[in-house]
Amino acid sequence: MCNDFVTPENWAFTSSTHWPSLKSMPKCRFLDVRITGLVTCVPPHEKCIDDELELFGGNMQQLKRLKKTIGLHKRRVVDADTTAADLCEQAARRLIEETAVELAQIDAVICVTQTPDYSQPCNAAVLHGRLGLLKDCAALDVNLGCSGYVYGLWLAHTMIASGGCERVLLLAGDTISRLVHAKDRAVAPLFGDGGSATLIERSAGAPAAFFSLQTDGSGYDKLMVPAGGARQPCSAATSLVAEDAAGNIRSPENLFMDGAEIFNFSITEEPKSVTELLKYASVEAGAVDFYVFHQANRYILGNIAKRLKLDPAKVPMETVERFGNQSSASIPSAICGELSATLAGCDSAQMLLSGFGVGLSWASALVEFRDLSVCELIDYTS
Amino acid sequence: MELDTFIKHFEDAVEDLESGTLTPETSFKDLKSWDSLAVLTVTDAMDMEYAVTLRKADFESAATVVQLFEIVQSKLTK
Repeated sequence: MCNDFVTPENWAFTSSTHWPSLKSMPKCRFLDVRITGLVTCVPPHEKCIDDELELFGGNMQQLKRLKKTIGLHKRRVVDADTTAADLCEQAARRLIEETAVELAQIDAVICVTQTPDYSQPCNAAVLHGRLGLLKDCAALDVNLGCSGYVYGLWLAHTMIASGGCERVLLLAGDTISRLVHAKDRAVAPLFGDGGSATLIERSAGAPAAFFSLQTDGSGYDKLMVPAGGARQPCSAATSLVAEDAAGNIRSPENLFMDGAEIFNFSITEEPKSVTELLKYASVEAGAVDFYVFHQANRYILGNIAKRLKLDPAKVPMETVERFGNQSSASIPSAICGELSATLAGCDSAQMLLSGFGVGLSWASALVEFRDLSVCELIDYTS
Repeated sequence: MELDTFIKHFEDAVEDLESGTLTPETSFKDLKSWDSLAVLTVTDAMDMEYAVTLRKADFESAATVVQLFEIVQSKLTK
């Protein structure tokens, strides 16, 4: 649960009717917090669905339909030696260099990932050490995927607004390509990898940022890796692959996705989340410059944009066809990959960011991007 | 909600399915173009046209076009 955070300076106005009721959880409003830079790092190795006709049993017609309707095309995947932590580290180093932030100024590092290096310790602690951050720095992971970047931004805003931090380094990245089975047509062609780093800091006078966070845990099994955790540890049995009714092959240690249910969830909850957040913030839909959704696939993105009656020019959709569904890194990847030139060329941009998926979890944020020190997409170099 | 309109929406939703292909008694799961992608596009169409959410269980329990129509119709009245 989160409260409607205010700064001491404007507490006097909190009793006005402009302020949403504290019962309108979990929507939040933050003042004097700003995103100052972000970098996304993608692996250089590219796969293309055109080269995977064998995965579809030689059915060129089916492959063409998937390309046309879902928008499957290319994705970037890591090699066996590269992890999400590696991608995030390289993004962080570039971010630190470009923002000229001193390591001593970073009060917390949050790592959003569902593909950590180890089940313990957390990725944030590992990366804290690799980046050489100081001991007076909090480090914690957030185990979320598609919604994770927005949740991570919210957490960073919360930590700063509470007075506990001046600057938070938010890392978000995943290597879902290492979780899918290569012969699972339902997921293998969809997912790519990426890592990102975002710097959030206290900034007097920064425009308000608005967030909403939602969950439907009853849908936990619609997108999951069944084995490998405490509920079902890895064993000889869990490593055995099986073929499902549709001919997809996977083991319990691989990612499973119920595509139909995830689609239903996306088109039901996402438009509502966006509309309600705009209403909460008293912002007209037309006043938003860009709607950056989690890059699930082009069909879902187009569907959500259609239902919200959005101008397609305001909705980045190319990232998923270039890099695949990058889970927690997909939103920063879309910003860095598709909007960096635009953001550099304008004074400010009102951005609505919205992630949805595994959990089932979804979150939206309305934030103004202004004077970014860096907004860059880089290729990983080992 | 008319059956012939429903059939038209169904045909429009499934790629490579020519208009006039379906009858109420068509076993839609036997169609060459019926696959997981068709499930998505028909789900989408039913939501857009009728504000009805079709779940996997609905497709599993319906064998023919008219049976799916009846399921959509029953959800409309709820």
